[in-house]
Amino acid sequence: MNATFGVPWLTVLALLPTVGAIVVLLGSSRAAKVVALATSLVTVVLAVVLTVGLRGGGAMQLVEDAVWIRPLGAHYALGLDGIGATLVLLASIVTPVVVLATWSDYDRAPDGSLSAIAAGETARYDSKIFYALVLAVQTCALYLFLATDVFLFYVFFEVILVPMYFLIGGFGPGARRSYAAAKFLIFGLLGGFVMLASVIGLYVASADAGNPSYLLSDLSGLTLGTGQERWLFLGFMFAFAIKAPLVPLHSWLPDAAEQSSPGGATMMVGIMDKIGTFGMIRFCLGLFPEASQWATPVVMVLAVISILYGAILAIGSKNLMRFVAYTSISHFGFIVLGIFVLTRQTLTGSTFYMLNHGLSTAALFLVAGYLVKRRGSANIDDFGGVQKVAPVAAGLLLFAGLSTLSLPGLSSFVSEFMVLAGTFGKHPVYAGAATLAIVLAALYILLMYQRTMTGPVQPAVAERVTDVSVRERVAIAPLVVLILVLGVYPKPVLSMIEESTTLLQTSVGVSDPAPVVEGSR
Amino acid sequence: MGTIAAPTIGYALLLPFIVIFAAACVGILLEAVVPRDLRRAAQLLLAFVAVGVALVVTVSNWAAGGDVVVGVASVAVDGPTSFIWTILLVFGAVSFGMFAERKVTAGVSAFAPMAAAVPGTEAEREAIEARREHTEVLPLALFALSGMMLFPAANDLITMFVALEILSLPLYLLCGLARRRRLLSQEAAMKYFLLGALSSAFFLYGAALLYGYSGSFLLSGIDDAIRNGVAGTGPQGTGLLLAGMGLMAVGLLFKFGAVPFHSWTPDVYTGAPTPVTAFMAACTKIAAIGALMRVFYVALGSDRWDWQPMMAVVAIATMAVGSVLAITQTDVKRMLAYSSIAHAGFILTAFVGASQASTGAREGSLTSVSSVMFYLVAYGAATIGSFALVTMVRDSTGEATQLSSWVGLGKRSPLVALVFSVFLLSFAGIPLTSGFIGKWSVFAAAWSGGMHWLVVVAVVISVVAAFFYIRVIVMMFFTDEPSAAASGSSAAAVVRPGWTTLLAVGVGVAATVVFGIYPGPLLDLAQSAGEFIR
Amino acid sequence: METVTPVLGTGFFTLAWLLVAVPAASAAVLLLVGRAGDRWGHFLGTLAPIASFAIGLCYFVQLLGRDEASRSVSVPLYDWISSGSWNIRVGLQLDQLSIVFVLLITGVGSLIHVYSIGYMAHDPRRRRFFGFLNLFVAAMLLLVLADNYLVLFVGWEGVGLASYLLIGFWQERPSAATAAKKAFVVNRVGDLGMSLAIMLMLAAFSSSSFTDVNEGIAGVSPTLATTLGLLLLLGACGKSAQVPLQSWLLDAMEGPTPVSALIHAATMVTAGVYLVVRSHAIFTAAPAASVAVVVVGTVTLLFGAYIGCSKDDIKKVLAGSTMSQIGYMMLAAGIGPVGYAFAIFHLVTHGFFKANMFLGAGSVMHAMDDDVDMRHYGALARALPITFVTFAAGYLAIIGFPFFAGFYSKDHIIEAAFHASPVAGVCALVGAGVTAFYMTRLMLMTFAGRKRWREGVHPHESPLVMTIPLIILGAASVVGGLLLNGWITEWLNPAVAGEAETEGLVHVTLVGIVTMVVVLAGVGVSFLFFGPQKTVADVQPATRSPFVRAGRRDLYGDAFNEAVFMRPGLRMTNDLLRFDGAVVDGVANGTGTVIHGFSSRLRRVQNGFVRSYALTMTAGAAVVGAIILLGRLG
Repeated sequence: MNATFGVPWLTVLALLPTVGAIVVLLGSSRAAKVVALATSLVTVVLAVVLTVGLRGGGAMQLVEDAVWIRPLGAHYALGLDGIGATLVLLASIVTPVVVLATWSDYDRAPDGSLSAIAAGETARYDSKIFYALVLAVQTCALYLFLATDVFLFYVFFEVILVPMYFLIGGFGPGARRSYAAAKFLIFGLLGGFVMLASVIGLYVASADAGNPSYLLSDLSGLTLGTGQERWLFLGFMFAFAIKAPLVPLHSWLPDAAEQSSPGGATMMVGIMDKIGTFGMIRFCLGLFPEASQWATPVVMVLAVISILYGAILAIGSKNLMRFVAYTSISHFGFIVLGIFVLTRQTLTGSTFYMLNHGLSTAALFLVAGYLVKRRGSANIDDFGGVQKVAPVAAGLLLFAGLSTLSLPGLSSFVSEFMVLAGTFGKHPVYAGAATLAIVLAALYILLMYQRTMTGPVQPAVAERVTDVSVRERVAIAPLVVLILVLGVYPKPVLSMIEESTTLLQTSVGVSDPAPVVEGSR
Repeated sequence: MGTIAAPTIGYALLLPFIVIFAAACVGILLEAVVPRDLRRAAQLLLAFVAVGVALVVTVSNWAAGGDVVVGVASVAVDGPTSFIWTILLVFGAVSFGMFAERKVTAGVSAFAPMAAAVPGTEAEREAIEARREHTEVLPLALFALSGMMLFPAANDLITMFVALEILSLPLYLLCGLARRRRLLSQEAAMKYFLLGALSSAFFLYGAALLYGYSGSFLLSGIDDAIRNGVAGTGPQGTGLLLAGMGLMAVGLLFKFGAVPFHSWTPDVYTGAPTPVTAFMAACTKIAAIGALMRVFYVALGSDRWDWQPMMAVVAIATMAVGSVLAITQTDVKRMLAYSSIAHAGFILTAFVGASQASTGAREGSLTSVSSVMFYLVAYGAATIGSFALVTMVRDSTGEATQLSSWVGLGKRSPLVALVFSVFLLSFAGIPLTSGFIGKWSVFAAAWSGGMHWLVVVAVVISVVAAFFYIRVIVMMFFTDEPSAAASGSSAAAVVRPGWTTLLAVGVGVAATVVFGIYPGPLLDLAQSAGEFIR
Repeated sequence: METVTPVLGTGFFTLAWLLVAVPAASAAVLLLVGRAGDRWGHFLGTLAPIASFAIGLCYFVQLLGRDEASRSVSVPLYDWISSGSWNIRVGLQLDQLSIVFVLLITGVGSLIHVYSIGYMAHDPRRRRFFGFLNLFVAAMLLLVLADNYLVLFVGWEGVGLASYLLIGFWQERPSAATAAKKAFVVNRVGDLGMSLAIMLMLAAFSSSSFTDVNEGIAGVSPTLATTLGLLLLLGACGKSAQVPLQSWLLDAMEGPTPVSALIHAATMVTAGVYLVVRSHAIFTAAPAASVAVVVVGTVTLLFGAYIGCSKDDIKKVLAGSTMSQIGYMMLAAGIGPVGYAFAIFHLVTHGFFKANMFLGAGSVMHAMDDDVDMRHYGALARALPITFVTFAAGYLAIIGFPFFAGFYSKDHIIEAAFHASPVAGVCALVGAGVTAFYMTRLMLMTFAGRKRWREGVHPHESPLVMTIPLIILGAASVVGGLLLNGWITEWLNPAVAGEAETEGLVHVTLVGIVTMVVVLAGVGVSFLFFGPQKTVADVQPATRSPFVRAGRRDLYGDAFNEAVFMRPGLRMTNDLLRFDGAVVDGVANGTGTVIHGFSSRLRRVQNGFVRSYALTMTAGAAVVGAIILLGRLG
């Protein structure tokens, strides 16, 4: 156990962005981005320190537990384990990147007018609000990944919708942003409220059992009737399947991504949507192991469908942001597949996948954002020959793309392969079907790259698009480095995750299939 | 040939009610004796002192504990009563604060200068010139308040009926006293009165039938009759019971504004002066659900198999109609009216769940009564707060209740928009607001009462409900001003109100946020209030 | 069957990773340094493979010094993916097979780098070009040095990426961009097989290392072994442009010619052969799979040859011949232990003479202002003496002229093929004849006959920096066979559990003689049509002959893909998009609309008339009563 000096480190970590947000709101608009960057950087440092300090074989660490609402059995309980730590890292790494990448996007013009974000469209508010919202989203995300109490988790599961909603509606280019924002919210609330029913059911069940408590540790000990467990599971699963969009509950994501700013889209797809898959691991598997296995066949089918469905739609997509959204649907399919196959490799792989997907999607969204901002349009047809005028931007986009099609040597390959190969050992057919996606992925990424970056330079591109600035490169650099390093040497992260997934696997009560050939290693 | 026992009155316990009632009467006298320019001050002083005293007494009685039936077995002063009295007095006081508001309306109250004067006549003009105003509104409100206090505390049907009338009649009057749009206001009053009379008839008839069934007006008496069937519990006996039950339900649900007895609500809420609307929306609902629960839990509790399905249907209808209709509203007050209907529905889910100690609810888990009472606090706070805001957002024609004129408020006066959003989020049941905890507890009560399916329906409907609250937020923050100008109505501005209105807003926000983040104590309190006594 | 277990590398061997690291580092520098590096970039880029070559040479000498048993050296580097029962290491394996490849890649690679200095001299993006070339070399070395399939796969995809970048190097040309994408995607289809194979290995053996798989394969069911073999073959087909995944190679000629020489002739496209030979244990355990390899090889060698005959684009002719030559290698590899060594032998010599000829073609294009149509050539022998001579060497080598490189390597394969199956043998024989035909055609149309140059074209010999590599490779094409013959089989056999027997430099067999005759026939026919006296039309003559047409359209490979995959795929994509918008999204939006409509309809009930309100109340009361009664009845 590492020394905490009696400091509730996790609370400190989770509240850092809040403090930042408050300072941003109180401070001047000019200072906003600086404060935001500073706080998010501090958050990264703290997150890394805490993660590196993790000891104790995957069990919850740095645990904090205080009774919050006694009659509801709700606790303010936080804890950090290998799985949570991975996502905490993601949430804290991506945020400063977003801040730096959108650095001057929402500054007011000298005459005090708001910055233009699209043809004839200006942002609703200035950078102050933007960064406050970004930090708010980060706080919620951190709480979600740290919560060890269902009620606390649920609270932030709903609350995060609010800043995210304003982020989309207030800063997205495009006329249909408030439609997209509303759609996002309605889907989110639908999931949330249905989940609420299960959350309440869980409370009643635990109250029936004697002491009403929302602590994961108490609930996992709960014995539920089969039917009851399945219903409660469905409530949670429904909400998570909307968040980490699983076909056919995905239709909000493309609109939200298309209509929101690159920064907002990154926070949404890169970080917030991970709540869904994270929740499946933490709560569906953690609280309803039998029900999860009962649902596995259906979920796996949906996952495979999502994988192919998303990939195919990405091939046909006409809009860069939408494109990324579709690819994400495909990737979430992989993650979900891995979670429900329930082998050590797939669980670890899926968790790692969340991190990698966050990184590469962030890269994709932000680099695309650079180009969209310059060109003033996200339509793929409005680009062409960019690599001639902006080679570095094209290079970055290609790199992000390669990471998205999980090229071996990049981190996403490790996770995707772990999921696929792990699945193959248990369900070869599903694995085979899912593997088709590696061809589709190559197709959608390279088609997009070809249409936008190669070929003769379009006049509009020639006059508007310039290469990325140093600041913009610096913003993306950490993502590039991480994707490479984790691709070549993923071991530290993998072993950290594996410790926790091993515990999880035993608690669920499944074991890996034995190799066909006994005795070989 | 027994000796006549001296009736137990228990003045100490009845004191809060007596204080308010007496204050009302004194108020009337003040109108007669105090010179005009002092009346307002005098009335305000009287009202607030009375409420203050009543509050203190209530709390101290409650602290002293002991659930007893007093006033010749006609009033039950038990945990729930104390809780309800407390919140009634608090919300009453807060809305009286809005009654006192003068600043927003350029130095005159929100009430008609001379109700007797026909709108648009010379007389009215003179009255306006003379800056007259009806200070009787406060005594009237006090009468209503006293009735509201008696209504849920009544232990026999006659007392309850009397209370019902005490609380209704002044409200009918108050509804007609709007300074602006007087015709609308008077029409509202008329409707409210007619339909109210109809509902009273239902109530009375129901009471009669129940008496016919059980031979007693006492709730406990009716309960005994159902349990160990005294009088003619033949088929026709049961007929009486069921008919009485149904008619009582209609009477009570009407006051509670449940579908299909809700149709008065939108018109009355829109027509009435906004302070009165706030008062009604918050306090009448509290009183009504209190009475509803007392009758159906205490008197008819042991026959709940008969009324639970019916009430479940009503609950669903109420939630659905309220939420769905609110979507297409273009007037803030009207939208809030429908939202209040929807919330009535959500409250009913807990009521239908009927999870109480008597029905085998576990020690320490939320009962229907306590969850409803928490919900009432959350709902009342947000309601009064938002109506207070409505009085502040004005244009040339007075309160700018057209939603279209709220467009872009987030830009013009961010603070007001933000506060209003907090209330809306609370209504929508988003966590970290008291509205969420309220939703949680009523659904939890319904669930532990075995009404799982009802909860599922309720959560799905709450999505629809959430949608129209969000719609308003979109208007305030995301919709461009030009679209508003195009839609004709002039953009509204926020007028800085007097401290009493600010107090209302402040109390609303404070309650919404505090009980949203740390509801523990209040929930404990609601739980400790326990059950209705027999 | 016995499998070689590598000995742990010590001392100098632990530095084997330098082989890969050096070009990788150089690539990184070249791609990141920016304009600053434009002046010296190409020198750094050329030094990198040379350095690797030097290191490789040292290891080669070391291995030579060791006794046969301990020539396979494993160099574990670090744990890569360890999860559950897996423990996948990143490790290198230096053995007779891989070192041969190391030398080929870095040797030929260095020469081509040198050549490129001249060839790309006028390209503003030369630095990046060298960066990509280095990236390729690094990836290719990783591919051949890996000690397990997953790491091999990394190199495998790495070369795919490099090939993508280099084919599309002139991205502003849509055709180039398309070709690059096509190459990558088609290769991904192969990779599908590859990755499934690796998954199967992990499922079966919980490991993907060559040693574990070789050991384990003996214990598995034939079905599993066959599946594994076929999946690997699919991968091989992708990389080595074997039928049915051949279609990308011809388009790949869009890339700069040095790229075609290095990647699409000498090294990368032979990776498939390497894979099959490396997986000898698997294929020995799965005869069916081996047969499939033979079939693929045979079909492809004829396929490529056919295409070679019908093209006027000099690079495409060479591309066709590359396909066909790799077909030979595949055939040899498919034959099994007796063939492995020959496959590699031909692979090496082919590396020499094909690289040689591609560079020669580059030099010709250089002289003809990047015109690739042979019908615009003619009589270049005098104008480009060095190019002509070196090219001729390559030509003689490929048609298998006695004592030239190809003579040895190819004849061995044809003979082995006859031993394995007459059909394959005959096909191989025919292939040799056809090869002779179209290569002669190429020589005649390019260097002999009358000038058919477009005006404004003034051919001139290329600078030394380009001709020196030509000369060296030309020499290799001449003597390569003589030197390697015999030695290489002995060298390789133990590594690949091979049983290829060693023939002397001159050994006359029936097959040999027949081959020679067939080849001469081919040459003759070619002279008949394209001889120096014949006039060659300087525009492609229209033809009605279905065979010629088929050839010109690459035997309808693309047409097939288009009809079977692309168009249906496109349709499905659009349909799915429409479905998503109309149905999936439609439901969501529809619900909203319905509720909204419901709401505005319901509003009308709220009409403001007390009487109707009262009515609703009474009706409501009735409903309430009804429900209560129903409750009683039900």
